[in-house]
This record gives sequence, structure tokens and C-alpha cells, in this order.
Amino acid sequence: MYYLIILLVYAAVDVIACLGLSQQFGVAGVTNFGFIIFQAAGAYVAAALALPPDTANGGFQLYIGGFSLPFPLPWLGAAAAGGLLALPFTFLVGRRLRGDFAAVGLLVTAVLLNLLVTNYRPLFNGDAGMAVVPAPLAHGMFVETSKGYQYAFAAGGIVVAGVVYWFVRRITESPYGRTLRAMRDNDKVADSLGKNLLALRTGVLVAGGAIAGLSGGILVSFIGVWSPPAWSYAETIVLFTAVIIGGAGNHLGAVLGAVLVPVGFEEVTRYISNGDQNLPPNLLPSLQWVAIGLLIAVFLWLRPQGVLPERKRVISAPDAAPGGPGGPGGGGIRPARAHHPARSRCEGPEILRASAVSREFGGVHAVAGVSLSIARGTLTGLIGPNGAGKSTLLSLLAGTDKVSSGQITYSGRDVTALPAYRRARSGLVRTFQLATEFKRLTVLENLLCAMPGNRGDSFLGAVAGRRCWRADEDLAIERAMTLIAEFGLTRHANDYAGDLSGGQRRLVEIMRALMAEPEMLLLDEPMAGVYPELARRIGTALRDLCQQGMTILMVEHELAIMDEFCDPVIVMADGAILAQGTMAELRDRSDVVEAYLVG
Amino acid sequence: MSLLLSSVGFGLITSAVLAIAAVGFTLQFAVTDVLNLAFAGVMTAGAFTAYLVNQAGYSVWVGLVAAMAAGSVLSALLNYLVYAPFQRRGAAPITLVIVSLGMALIIEFGIAAVAGGVGVSYRMGQGRTVRLGGLVLTTVQLTIMAISLVVMVGVHALLRYSRLGKAMRATAANRMLARTCGIRTGRVIAVTWAVTGALCGLAGTVFAIDVGSFDPTSTDIFLILILAAVFLGGPGNAYAAMLGALVIGLATEISAAYIQADYKYVVAFVILLAMLAVRPTGLLGTRT
Amino acid sequence: MSAEDQAALRARDVTAGYGGDPVIRGVSVRAGKGQVVSVVGPNGSGKSTLLKALTGALRVTSGQVWVGSREVTNSAPEEIARAGVGYVPQVEDVFAPLTVRENLEMGGYLLDRHELPGRIEHVMTVFPRLATMVRRPAGKLSGGERKMLAMGRVLMLRPAVFLLDEPTANLAPAIARSLLTEHVRQLAEQGAAVLIVEQRARAVLEVSDLTYVMGGGELRMAGAPAELAASPEFVASFLGGRPGAGTAGPGMV
Repeated sequence: MYYLIILLVYAAVDVIACLGLSQQFGVAGVTNFGFIIFQAAGAYVAAALALPPDTANGGFQLYIGGFSLPFPLPWLGAAAAGGLLALPFTFLVGRRLRGDFAAVGLLVTAVLLNLLVTNYRPLFNGDAGMAVVPAPLAHGMFVETSKGYQYAFAAGGIVVAGVVYWFVRRITESPYGRTLRAMRDNDKVADSLGKNLLALRTGVLVAGGAIAGLSGGILVSFIGVWSPPAWSYAETIVLFTAVIIGGAGNHLGAVLGAVLVPVGFEEVTRYISNGDQNLPPNLLPSLQWVAIGLLIAVFLWLRPQGVLPERKRVISAPDAAPGGPGGPGGGGIRPARAHHPARSRCEGPEILRASAVSREFGGVHAVAGVSLSIARGTLTGLIGPNGAGKSTLLSLLAGTDKVSSGQITYSGRDVTALPAYRRARSGLVRTFQLATEFKRLTVLENLLCAMPGNRGDSFLGAVAGRRCWRADEDLAIERAMTLIAEFGLTRHANDYAGDLSGGQRRLVEIMRALMAEPEMLLLDEPMAGVYPELARRIGTALRDLCQQGMTILMVEHELAIMDEFCDPVIVMADGAILAQGTMAELRDRSDVVEAYLVG
Repeated sequence: MSLLLSSVGFGLITSAVLAIAAVGFTLQFAVTDVLNLAFAGVMTAGAFTAYLVNQAGYSVWVGLVAAMAAGSVLSALLNYLVYAPFQRRGAAPITLVIVSLGMALIIEFGIAAVAGGVGVSYRMGQGRTVRLGGLVLTTVQLTIMAISLVVMVGVHALLRYSRLGKAMRATAANRMLARTCGIRTGRVIAVTWAVTGALCGLAGTVFAIDVGSFDPTSTDIFLILILAAVFLGGPGNAYAAMLGALVIGLATEISAAYIQADYKYVVAFVILLAMLAVRPTGLLGTRT
Repeated sequence: MSAEDQAALRARDVTAGYGGDPVIRGVSVRAGKGQVVSVVGPNGSGKSTLLKALTGALRVTSGQVWVGSREVTNSAPEEIARAGVGYVPQVEDVFAPLTVRENLEMGGYLLDRHELPGRIEHVMTVFPRLATMVRRPAGKLSGGERKMLAMGRVLMLRPAVFLLDEPTANLAPAIARSLLTEHVRQLAEQGAAVLIVEQRARAVLEVSDLTYVMGGGELRMAGAPAELAASPEFVASFLGGRPGAGTAGPGMV
């Protein structure tokens, strides 16, 4: 029976840890190969908080702390420790580092912290670790070795696991969780939609670290010992295996994986090996690790989505979505600005100004001293031969690339130094030339992601729960469904964006940008790969938007579109602006014709 | 002064061993696009192959050649059976890193299952003691340094002067362009696995000679030093890896002399993390 | 049209794309020995995609490609190169970390070792500027030098077919002109078939024997360059504006 209790407690601990990892790896796409050190840190702090001062035990073990704190303070301390430990590592998963390089950095961290702890006795009692950690409430009403106490402990562990499951689910199924998944699918695009990647990843590391710390605290107060060799980096791989097998991005899968791999597989075989005395002592544990390695490779090959794949979030519209009868191109798309009362104050004829903006790549001036002024409410076209610097200029204006020199003013404010997400938040939103939909989000979710001002789109909002953000979400769904209907994609609202055709994906991107409630849109070839009829429909919709007060700057090579919808049109060649005017005027200018035909 | 000198001596030996491994690792990454964390496992496989040959009564230097062959075959198999199929399917880089960790477990603990978890040593003498200026080194240590030097010159010659080496660099720089030149990059990549695998087996054996006693998990920490050397110089660049190995080797051993031996790896760790945070492309920039 | 029945390069009804909807649909082109054949058209008309499909870098979903009498539809890029096709991409056209000489050696990868020095010598006479910078890394060359190196690299193998993707993009006009009138023309005169994609049409028309105009992923016009250049539809196909552009004209496809 004791064996069953041990399994239950281990299951609870592993489930909690796997949920934390599932949140980081499966939902947010942060590969934390150092996950185990957060569990170890939680365990250590729980032990140090629960133990009496080290002078009390005759000095046979050394450690910092020793506060004899009553339950549940050691567990809470464990969670806090795991969360705090995450902070110094956020720089590794911030904006700039490739995901796999960051993962390597975290792996190295895990190995070396383990080494440090093992070798430095005064802080953590070195290799020996700590023993006789008091069990929760043991000295009060219970005797810790009694069967009743053991069952109560196991039940307590399972309850905590349940609470953690409830917690990560609450976060994942909130608008904030959706943003995390968007970041996982394409972080650069999330950035351009006003998501702060550094803050998001910090939140993910801290929350996951706290969950890992809590699991460590529970474990140490059950087994009563804390020993560094138990927290080797390889244990992280076991948890990863569990999450991959269970299904990355599905928390139920994480629970299943935890029960299958660390508990079912590892612990059970561990007990078998203890039973059979004839085998070499090292054989079975070694073979277990081999099996873990095989499981990883085999599952990633045969069923990379896991036993329980991430499920699709099908959202039904709150009420029957309006906009049906108008049909495609009905012209009912409105730039809603309810959330940005401040913006309308600085109305002026000019919304965006670039002064002598340049961008150099290794000695080549892709953009060389461009100055332009965009008037509010215009649909401006930007054309020019290949390599003229159009896309680069758009990136500079949106802040996805940094100027080498020059100044950019938006709504009367110098935004030259602002990062992309800050510019997006102040209403300047761009799209990309290549398809950049969030593949594993539905069309509707892609749009919802871009909606600013959703109270559920923050960690605290997500924790506060649906009640806090339901109204915002319903409003967003309504707007999104209206837009989707305008563009004739209602049938695909709940399809994964990655499964759509090329033209449909362009539409998703434009709709998503519109959801961000921009004052000004920067579109990079929105009609590329779109059949002519659809291109005209997009053009009509964009013109309607501008008539309602939006400003659009659009790079496009389909000149028929420019003719019909854009005024003025700016021509770039060789990184500089060559001419500006209506298409008809430009066509009569020999230098423009020459730029196109001669170069 | 003699403390400094002796630690420089140790540092040079560590650098020599590290350089062989780091150059192998970084070339592997540059040409094949796999950040192969099973590299340490293959080193161990090489070291144990040399041990078996040594136990059978041959010199450890014969074992060293066998280790190179074993590392070469094992790496080529890893590519052929595991990494190449995943890459053909378009797996993300991070997926390959996770798979390579799985391979690391299979190799290391597969060896542990067969060999047991206890430490083993080669049967060999340490040779005479040689004094060079203030440095005191054994002939075995000098041999390790000589081997490393030969390998570095050999890698340089391979990359600069041989048709294969240039094809490797071309494949690393731009795989599609290399293919339009008629280079069968699939073969170049397979050969790269074999060549870097041989370096890996060699590194494993000289590492085992250097540390004296080793077990299947001994190379785990050494992998950290390899990663530090590779990322310090700039991932994918062989010369950067050599420079990184020299810096990391000297830094760890000199700090061991002055702080505390147990913390020497922490220095490598701090250098690596600082590099990743400040300049992910490394000291010498990107790939060669 | 081509004087010979057996074209050096022939593509029939090629449809290709990047996995989603096809970018080019039903494109047929041919280039005979000694001909310079140009493909022109505005941005995004599918010119580069066509070249990528011909070199094997992109999957052809329907249609066929022949090099001489050999069908190479969906062969691997290295096999198409071995069949005698030299390709100069628009960007990333050299191995930046390799020296000029090493780039040329990679171009001559399929040659025998003893042939290499002679061929390099020959390329240096075609592009004398390269001779002064053999040991410089290709990444440190100027735009024009770089393009010459890319052309020289392809020249190493004496391919039967040259595929050039906007070789004059980002070059100063004078250099662009000399590249086209001297070097591209010369390639054809030495017996190769040259298929050249250009956005800046006028200059390339002057050196072409045959010109295709692409738009929206399809062939819009084909014919003799002089004839095309004189037609108002030709300018319209670049700058738009005239109704009926691309629906009539010489040599309609």
C-alpha cells in the first residue's frame, strides 16, 4: 500500500511539473532545457524554510535559512523561489536570440548550477544535500509515518495538482494564452501587432518557474531529503518526453504524459529493479534512460503532436454575426477607435513624416535619404522596380527595422527610437510581404489576437478569469466576425489559418491588421498571389476605410490597382524617391518610365 | 609564478583537447545545420572503443585510431538514420536539438548499460616528465598537444586546400547555390558527419587519457566547455572554435588555480552566457 | 522562333509555386543554341519563380522541362546543373565567405583537377577585374564585381544553358549595360543558350533574340524584341493604364 501512496505523490509532483513545462514549451514555444533547476530551487527553499537553523542539528549539515516555518509557508516559498530564479534568465529568451541557442544556454545553466551546488558546501551542503526535512503539519495533529497521514499527503498533493491544472488552463484559454500561442507560431509578427515579447516570455518563465518550484517543494517535504544528484539536467529531458508524448500544447496531454512517463515508466521500473537482485545494479536504470531517448525520437517521428494533440478552439459567434446580407465588399468595415480616445486629439493634415531616412546594410544604402509626408485619410501607393527599397522603407516606418539615420514622426510625435510593438500600440500597424498568419490559430483567433485593449490579454487579466474579460472578448468576436463576413471567409472562421489557400491567408493578414484598430496601415504587397477579382475587392474595402478616416500606405506591384484606388502614388528607385503623383501623371513622366524599363 | 605557469600548462592541455572537439562540433553544425548535443555521447563511445582495444592488449594509441573509426561510423549512422530523415521532413531546428538530446541519452546510457557505471582507465604509462621553461609536462601530455596541433593544421588544410573542404564551406555558406554548382550536398553532408565524427572519437579518447579515469557520463560537463568554446568564437566557424577553445581552456584552468578547482567551469559558464546575451554571433561573427 | 528544332532549353506548360497556390501557371518558353532569350515583366509577374522551377529549386506541379533531349522535370538542382545548366540567382549569388578563386573552383566543381587552372585563367580573361582580387572574400566585393564573379562561377563549367535572374539589378547603369552588351551577348555567341530575366526591359531587349513578357504568373506576349518594344501594350504591361493591355499585340501567347 505504501507503494501506491508513493506513486500518487510522485504522480502529483510530476503532473505539476509537466503542466508548468507544457505551458512554457507547448503553449508559448519557450524551450526551457533548464526546467529542472527551478524545481530544485523550490525544493531547496522549501527545505530551508521548514528545517530548524543548521546550528540546531549539531552541524552535520550546513545550509542557509532554517526558519522552522509552519506549513504551507515552505510550499509558497518554493513557488516564489522558482519564480524569482527565472528573472535572471529572461535575457536569454528575450528578443534577439535564436530559440535553439537560447535552449542551449538554459541547458548549460542547468548543468552548471547543479555543479556549483554540488561543490559548494556552505550554501547547500554540497553533494550530500539536506536530510530530515520536516513533513507538513507532522508535529501537530498527525504522526507522519501513519498510513492516514500518508494518504492525506497524497490527497493534498493531488488537490494541488488539480489547482495548478485549473490555473494553467485558465491562463491558456484566455486572450493572454492566445497571445502566447501566437508568439509561439511567429514571434516577429506578434511583435509587430503590439505584443511585448520580452514581457510575455518573462511571464512564461516566471509562472513556469513558480509551478516547478512548487512541485519541488511538495516532493522534498514528502521524501524529506534534498540531494543535488536527483536534479540532473537529464531529469528535464524526462519531463520533456512526458510533454511531447502527452501532446505539447494540451494540458490534459501533459497530465497524461506525466502519468505515463515519469510515473508509469520510470518509477515502476525502478521498483522492479529493486526487486530483482540478480541483475547488475546499473543495468535497469541505464536501460530506462535509453528507453527515454528512444521514446523522444520515435514519438517526434511518428506522432509529433502527441497522444492528445492540441485541440482547436472553435468559437461560435455570440449572436448571429451581422454583415451577412451586405456580402463581400459591402463596405461596412469601420475603423473602430473606441479604445483610443487620446489619438483623435492631434488631428492634423499630416499623420506620418519621414525626414532624410536611410538604412545601410554592409555599405549598401537600401534606403538613401528618403523624406516623405503622408496626409491623413489618404490611400497612398508605393511602387518601384525590384530592389528599390520599398519593403525596407516600410520596415523602417513600422519599426521592425532600425534606421541608420534620419527621423520618423508619427502623429506629431518622434517615434524614431520606438520599437515596433510600441508603434503598433499607438496605431501604426504593418503587414508583411510573405504570408505571416499564426498557423496553429484559427482564422478567428488570428483576428482576435490583434484586438487591442482586451483586459484578458495580460497575465493578471488571465488570472482574474473570464468574468473580467468576457465583455471585451465578445466585442472582439463580434468585430472579427463582421470583418470575416465582409471578406467572405465566414465559412473558414474556425479553420486553422495555416490550412487556407494563399489568397485567403493574405485576407487573414489584412483583417488582422484591421482588428488592431490602426490609425494608419502599412501594407506590404497585400494583393500578391491574389486573383484579380479578389484584389479589386480588397482595394474597394481599403478605399472605404480611408474614406472613413484611416490612412494607408501600400506597397503593391499590380499597377491596375494603383490606378483605380491609390492617390497619390510614390515611385521609388535605387533607395530614393523618384516621383509622386497620380498614376496617370507618373505614366507621362519619362524618368518613371525609364526607371521601370531601363533602371 | 610557478602556480600561474603550471595552470597555464594545464590550460594548454585542456585547450588542446577542447579544440579538437569544438572544431568537430562547429563544423558539424555549420555544414549540416544540426546542433548535435549527442556529440558528447559520441566522444564517450570513442573513448570506450579505445578502452576495449586497449584491454585487448594493444596500445592506447592504436585504440585512438579505432576510436576515430567508431566516432566516424556512429556519427554517419546518426545522420543517416535519424537527423537526415527529420531534416527531409522539414523539422524545426529546435526539434532536432531535442532529438539530439534523446540520442545523447541512448548512446551514453547504452554504454553505461554495457560497461557499468564505474570509472575505467587506460593501461598506459604517463611517460617521462619534461620541463619546458617553467612548464612541467609529461610526454603523454605533449603528445596530446601535438595531436591537437596536427588536427588544427589538418582541418585548416582540409578547409582551405581540398576540394572536399571547400565544398563543405560552400554547402555551409549556401546550400542551394552549392547544389546549382552541381555539388551533391547530400554526400558532402554525409562525409562531413564521418569526418567530424572521427574528430569526435579522437577528442573523446584524448579527453579520457587526459582525465585518467572516466565513466559513461564523464563527458557531460565537457560538452558544456565545447558549447562555451563554440559560442564564444561564433557558432559555425572553425577558426573561431579554435580561438574559443584556447580562451576557455586557459580561463578555466587559471581560475582553478586562483579561486577553487571546483568552480573552474563556472568561468566558462559566465563567459558563454555573457556571449549569448551580448553578441550571439560570437567574437568572429558568423559562419565560414 | 528558334532556328533549331532541338532547343537547348525547353519548358512546356510549367506550373509551379511555393506550396500554396501556384505562382506561375502554364508557362512555356524555349531557348536555342546561340540565342539570348529574355523574360521581362513587372515585379511579381513570376519571372524569378520560372527560373527557380527550371533549376529544380522549386517543385514543378505540372508541365515538363527539357535540357537538350533530356527531360529534367523535378530533377534535383545538382543533377540539372550536371545536365549543363548554369544558374545565377538574383541575390545570394556567390559564396560570401569563400574567396574569389574558391568561388570559381566551386563553379568548376565538376571539372577534372587539371582543367581547373585553365578554366579559371579563361574566366579571368573574360572578367579581367576578377584577376586583381583572387584572394578576396566574395562578400567584400562591390555589387558589380560580385555579379561578375557570379557569372564567372557559372562560366567555369561551359554550360549549354545559362539562366540569369536579373543580373543588372542594383548595378550602376553603365556597368549594367556593359554586362548585357558585352558579356551576355558573348555567352550566346560562343554557342550557349541564355535565358535572362530582367525587370528593366529596354536594355535587355537590345541584346535579345527573342523576348517573352510575363504578367500575373502567365505569359502575356512573346516575339521579336524590336516589334514588342514598339507596341504600346508593351509599356502598358509595365506601367498599366491602357485598357486592353496584354490582350492584343504581336506574337500573342
